[in-house]
Parts: sequence; C-alpha cells; structure tokens
Amino acid sequence: MANFPNIERVDARAKVTGAPIYGADRTTPLHALLAVSTVTKGRLAAIDTARARAVPGIRLVATHEDLADLTSPGFLLSGGYGFQSFAPMLSDAIVHRGQPIALLVADTLEAAAEAASLVEAAYVEVPFSSKINSTGATIIPQAQSPLPQQIFRDTIAGDAAGAFGAAATTVDVTFHNPPQHQNPIELVATVAEWDGDDLTIHEGTQNSGALKFGIARMFGIEPDRVTVISPQVGGGFGQKNSLQMQTALVAWAARRLGAPVKMVVPRSQLFGNASFRPESRHRVRLGADAEGRLTAALYDVDAQSSRHDLFPLDYTNPAARLYGIPNFQGFQRIVQTDVQTPGYMRAPFEHMATFALDTAVDEMAAALGRDPVEYRMALDTDRDPVTGLPFSSRFLNACLSRGAEMFGWTGRNPEPRSMRAADGQLVGMGVGCGCYKAATAPAAASLRLDADGRVSVAVGVHEMGQGIRTALANAVAARLGVHPSAVSAVIGDTRGVPQHTTAGSWGTATAVPAVVEAADKLLEELGPDPLAAMARRGLESYETRIERRAPGQPEEPARALHVGRPAPWGPVYGEFVGFSYIAHFAEVLVEPSTCRIRVPRIVSVVDCGQVVSPRTAESQVKGGVVWGIGAALREATEVDERYGGFLNTDIAEYVIPVNADIGRNEVAFINEPDPRISASGVKGLGEVVMTGVAAAIANATWHATGRRLRDLPIRPEHLL
Amino acid sequence: MNREDDSVAWPLLTRREALIGAGLGVGTAMFHLHLEPAAAQPSAGPSVRFDDQVGVSFTTNGRELDAVVDPRTSLLDHLREAQGLFGTKKGCDHGQCGACTVHLDGERVAACLTPVVQCAGRTVETVESLERDGELHVMQQAFIDHDALQCGYCTPGQIMAAIACVREGHAGSRDEIREYMSGNLCRCGAYENIVSAIEAARSKMEA
Repeated sequence: MANFPNIERVDARAKVTGAPIYGADRTTPLHALLAVSTVTKGRLAAIDTARARAVPGIRLVATHEDLADLTSPGFLLSGGYGFQSFAPMLSDAIVHRGQPIALLVADTLEAAAEAASLVEAAYVEVPFSSKINSTGATIIPQAQSPLPQQIFRDTIAGDAAGAFGAAATTVDVTFHNPPQHQNPIELVATVAEWDGDDLTIHEGTQNSGALKFGIARMFGIEPDRVTVISPQVGGGFGQKNSLQMQTALVAWAARRLGAPVKMVVPRSQLFGNASFRPESRHRVRLGADAEGRLTAALYDVDAQSSRHDLFPLDYTNPAARLYGIPNFQGFQRIVQTDVQTPGYMRAPFEHMATFALDTAVDEMAAALGRDPVEYRMALDTDRDPVTGLPFSSRFLNACLSRGAEMFGWTGRNPEPRSMRAADGQLVGMGVGCGCYKAATAPAAASLRLDADGRVSVAVGVHEMGQGIRTALANAVAARLGVHPSAVSAVIGDTRGVPQHTTAGSWGTATAVPAVVEAADKLLEELGPDPLAAMARRGLESYETRIERRAPGQPEEPARALHVGRPAPWGPVYGEFVGFSYIAHFAEVLVEPSTCRIRVPRIVSVVDCGQVVSPRTAESQVKGGVVWGIGAALREATEVDERYGGFLNTDIAEYVIPVNADIGRNEVAFINEPDPRISASGVKGLGEVVMTGVAAAIANATWHATGRRLRDLPIRPEHLL
Repeated sequence: MNREDDSVAWPLLTRREALIGAGLGVGTAMFHLHLEPAAAQPSAGPSVRFDDQVGVSFTTNGRELDAVVDPRTSLLDHLREAQGLFGTKKGCDHGQCGACTVHLDGERVAACLTPVVQCAGRTVETVESLERDGELHVMQQAFIDHDALQCGYCTPGQIMAAIACVREGHAGSRDEIREYMSGNLCRCGAYENIVSAIEAARSKMEA
C-alpha cells in the first residue's frame, strides 16, 4: 500500500479561528450548576434549599425528592451506559464525596453559582474506605467475581510457578500508582433542548450512542426521541466515553422549565464526579534460566473499584504479550472502596502493566549484565505466548533497533551514575517498550458523492484531537481520487449512522475500513469514473451505505452497535492475535543536589500498522509521550483519608506537564500495514504511544542515579 | 467594613477576591462608588445583594459596547454568554489553564480572572479578532503549518498567548518560549509543535 500524503489537519482552520465547534459553544437562556455532597458515605438527613430558592434569577432548585422519576442508566461495563451504575439524586443515599445533591438553574451563571453556595445539607455518616489498603476495603479476586469470565479471566500460559521455582536468576519487585484524573481541558458540559417530546443533547463525548440510549433509558422514552451531537471533543482521554452524571439532570431541568439549559461542570467537581484511573499496586516476579532466557513471569495486580460497580481489570493480557515469556501467570484482584466508579484513562491498564513488566525486565537485564536493548530483542516472539496463535504483525525489534540508532544508544556507558553533562547534571539513558491491543469495532458508514465532486461520509466515530477527520478525508480521497478538502464527515452525531464509543485505540481501525468499503462499493456500482457515470445518468448525487463487523466477529455481539453499547473485538481474532508496539528511548538529566529530573529528549518508534494521516499521527505520538512524562514524574490525585474523596481537585495542584517540562521527541513509524486486521492495515495508535514511556524514564533515572524507583510518580523527594 | 473602606481596594481586586468579598457580605458598595448602576437599588443596609446590574462600556474586537452586567461576571463568561464569542474557552475558571487568554489593552490576561467591570474604557481582543478579510494571522497559520494543536480546545488561548509572547520579546529562543508559554496548558501534549509554530511566526511578525 502506498504511503498516504502528509496533509494538513482538516479541522485546523476551525480550531485556530475559535469557531464554535464544542458542545457548550452555544447561547442558552438558562444555566445550571450542582451542589455536591461534602461527605463520603451515608445519607442525606436533611437538605435546606430555602436560601437558594430566594436568590434573584433562580428558576429551579431540585433535590432527590423531585427527581425520583428517573432510572439509572446502568454501568457501561455491566450492560448499561453510565460511567457508573449509581445515578445521583434519585435517593437520599450518599456513596461518594462530591456526588450531586441539588440542581440549581437560573437566568445567569452567577445566580446559579450563588444559589449552589447556599444549599445546606445535614448528613448521617458512616465509616468509609478510601484507599486500597484502607480498613474495610473489600478485596475480590476477579476470577471469583460475577464478571463474565470468558472476557475477564486472568491470563495464564504454561506453568509459571513451576518455571519460577526452577529459575537460575529471579527478580521480585512491586510497583504502585496513585489515582489519576484525565483532565481534558474541555470541561464536561451539556446543553439540553426539548422540542415537544424530542430531546437534543450537545455535549463533548466519545460515545454519543451511549448518551442517546442511556438518556432514553433514564427517562423511559424511545431512543428515537433523543439526538446527540458531538462533532468535536475538547479532549476525552477516556473520561468522556460513557454517560456522565449531569446529562440527564440538565435534560430533566430543560424539560421542566421548557427552555434550553446549559451546564458546564466545574473542574473541581469532575474530580469527584467522573471517572479516573484507579489506584493500583503491582507485583512482578520474573525467572530466567542459566542462559538468561526469561522462562517465567508472575504478575499480581490489585486495583481500586467502587462499592457499587466492579470495574473489570485487564492488566495481565497486555503484559503477557509484550515479550515471548513462555510461562505466564496473571492474578488480578478488584478492591472495592468508597469512591465514584473508576474507569478508563489513556492506556488504562497498559500504562502500568508495561511500566511494571518492562521495568522488571530492565532489572533482569541489569542482574544478568546484559545490554537493555539487546536483552529485550532476545525476548522477541512471532507467536502469542498465551494462545499459541501467530501475531498478525509484530515489529517491536524493528522499533528497538531503529530507535537505538536514532537515539545514539551505542554512546551510552552501561554503568549507572557514569555519565555527566557539562553542567554536572547526572545523565541517564533508558529504554522502555509498550504494547496495546489492536481492537476493532463494528461500524456502519454512508458515503455520498455530489455532482460537484464533494464527498460526505457518515461513520460511527468521534473526533477528540486524534485527527480522525483528517484520516477519513485522506483515506476517502485516496480511494476516490479527489482532494482531501472535498471530503467532509458527519461523526459523533446520532442523526447519521449508529455511533460506537471511540476509545481503546480502535477508532481509526474501525472507521477508516468502513468508509473505504463504502467508497469501494460506490466505485463498484458506478465504475472507475463515478462523476462521469453520474453525469451520464443525470444524477445530482449518489449514496452508498455499508455495515461491517470486526474480523471474525459474530453477528450477535456486533448488534450492540445499534443500541449504543460497546462492541469491540480483538485482540484475539480466532486465527491470529493483534497488538501495536512501541519502543521509547529516554534521556534524563538529574540535578545532583535538588534531584530535579528533566527529560530533554525522547525517541519513539511505533509499530501501529498503516499510518493513514502522517501529520496527525506524529502529533498523537508526541502527545502520548507527554502523557507518559506526566504519569512518570508528575501526576497524582491525592486521596483524603480523613474525609474521603480527593484533595488536589484543580489543575494547579493536580500537576500535568507544562510547556517547559517538554523537550524534543523524535518520532518514527515502521508503517508496515497489518493486512490481517483489515484491508486498510491499521492497528491503532492513540494508546500504545503512552505505554513504555514511564518505563523508559524510570530506567533512565536508574541509569543516572543507580536508584530503582517503582512507585509513580517519581519525584525529587524519592531520590533525596 | 464600611463603605469608605470598601472604596479603596477595588481596582486591585481580582474576581476571586471580589467573590470572597461577596461571601462575607461586603463589596457591592464599591461598585456603586465607581460605576453607575443601571437600575438604582435601594440600599439594603448590612445585607448586601450582588444582583445589582451595572453599566460598563468597553471595546471588543473593534466594536464599542455598552453592556449591563452582573458585577460578578467574569470577562470570560461575558464574552461567551452575553457576546456569543465562543472562541475564548473555559478550562478551569481559576486562572490555571490559560484557555481563556485574551488581550486587554494589548496584554495577555486570563479572562476568567478579569471581572468584566474592570474592562471599563478598555480594549478587549479575542481570537475572533485575528482573521482579517479571510486572511489568518501569521500565528494562526503557523499553528496550522506545525500542527500545533490536537483537540483544539486550548488553541485560541495558546494563540493569543503566543502573539503576546512574541510582542513582549519573550520568544527569543525555544527555551524562552517554553518558559513564557507555560501558563497555557495543553492536555493533548502539542507543546513541542507549539514552540515550533511560535518560532516560525516570530520571524514573520518581526519582519
């Protein structure tokens, strides 16, 4: 397959001119805000809204006593649509700190804010558990949980315990990661408007389909009555992949008041009222034989969930696919605590799974006196160790060798603390590898060609910065021989075709093959010169529509697409297993007295299959590396063990990387199409880019300082 | 606190301080002293109300405007909700993210921390002011050329900050740009490309 041209991001002009393309970019006569619980667990004993109701301009003050007619949307991972099964304000129950207790709607935002500050509540409190090691936290082995075991069983290959017992060299290390929050810069926001019995929702979401069907379930109305429009998402990173807690409340208020209502959820409330990356701890045991070959890996994970939902864990699957370790034993436990249900945050399991496994491998290489790059390359495999099936494609060693060359790995002195910069800073060089499943999902697509040469496609996918609009335009343009600027896309919009959640790096691998198939159908029906054929037949426009499933996907699970439920497929596709791979090479500088760690340079080489949009793909890699730097060195949501909930609930105190934290990131793509996943050859990019970064930085920090730091984020005080 | 005390600090107040003042039951009087209320409200004695509407005149993107506003309103909320200028974004409402960066008398400010009443007699420029006769500002074009954006939500604030950064003379090197652009968060992680865009636009702006 020829390489795609390096075209400009098709929606860049709208974005640099400030065009009103996001959910809250519209004027409404009414503004809503929430008052939230200041306690973690118990029930509302009394709520006094008299002062709130007296605020001039206030139009509505509602509590659980008013809202009992709504129904929970259910939990996304348990047959429902919500980020958690618990829907606020349907009873007096308090299950996590920060949950809404009153809804305030006013003519102005200022009046709504004043009213929200005047809601007074009294609570009956009961003890709670806020961390995975807190008293009262409930530990449930996932294999013994009610979760469907065919999907969520622990990953097992061979006899890891036996091989570990017989190993000549072993590594036994534990890692910890705090809760973290996605913090897209676009706040979660809803505009709801009714026209008779028909509801329209404008909201930045990765899952307009779930909003449509979830809201219909909550209100007990036909899904056909609900339209969800989300053409651009101002960052999602997993936080916007399901129905949020405020959407139905805003819609309810709009219906009650007979006018459009807008709510922009304050940043502080998102820390307690939307999903997050759960706290987790990890133990990795590796065993190598006398020749240094890795023969065994045992990987135990505990990760946090809520009391009301079991957030399923999937750490052990990617860990088992990073290297060819013949005996692997995963063991995952869900720890129930009193928080809102955690969820997906970029590389939700794979970030920590690859950090834990790859750092342990680095420690094994050091124990054996082997070069970290050479040792990793010796662990390659072309078969999946778990199923024995071939990988559809795997170019991790090519990533490693090319990256080593670009980085100048041969200039690295293998001895820790051996390298210094001219200004005296300790220099560290480390490598880290990552992987992410190459999943795909069913999709419907329509394509219309107009006589003037313009093409409009509709497909189930959402634009959240990854550049899917650009990839769609590039793919369709190449197929039909038109300029990419002639292609427009209706996406994130339930008025077009069914909308599947855009997450899990399956967006491009799902949507691009679908629109290409629709274009192929058009060419088949009209011939190689479709515009001439249309002119001959006197047609102003011509439309095709296709629907496809993931490779080998049966009809039944694919039907979930039509009811707003997730229907991803893979990475085990029956005859093969698909993963994307990446290798990162990091240089760190550690200031010897303050132990400040900087990352001036990272080289990243990616095996994501075919690259459809080179420019946006490169940007996505750079962004994923920024995420890895944040995860490795900055980001932690601090838990309030006294009162429950979280402490640093804004983006000054929840520290994400700023411009001054980011140096150079040199990016290369293997760009080998994976023909077994689809004819388009796409494996997936948005998540794999973050995996392995933290390992590379931690391994480089060890090389600089001689210290192995296994709890993230790594901070100067851990080195002092 | 009496009325005389209130009158002193007003021009230095941030919106946050004004709101804290509101919570303590002080503050409205100062607006009466400095700005003509649109509708006279009877004095409420010690129980001060914040719903007095005040008149304020200023220029937005070359357009003179006589607005009647709630004195608590931020420039950010006023631009978006009253003027319908949605290019200026709300990312934190606390002056932490920079998504609402606009120019006030030519200098970059966080619109969320700027009470709209503080703009009286002044000139506000938003991202919507940059495109002239269909021609993009060189900074906008540089952001496109270097793909210095992903989701686009922080982009208007980045561009307004970037133009100010060059005008301030703080774009002399990549390191200096990184330092002086660190008040504008980009969660997608477009930082390296943002620096490249500013480097490229700087030479054109200075030409």
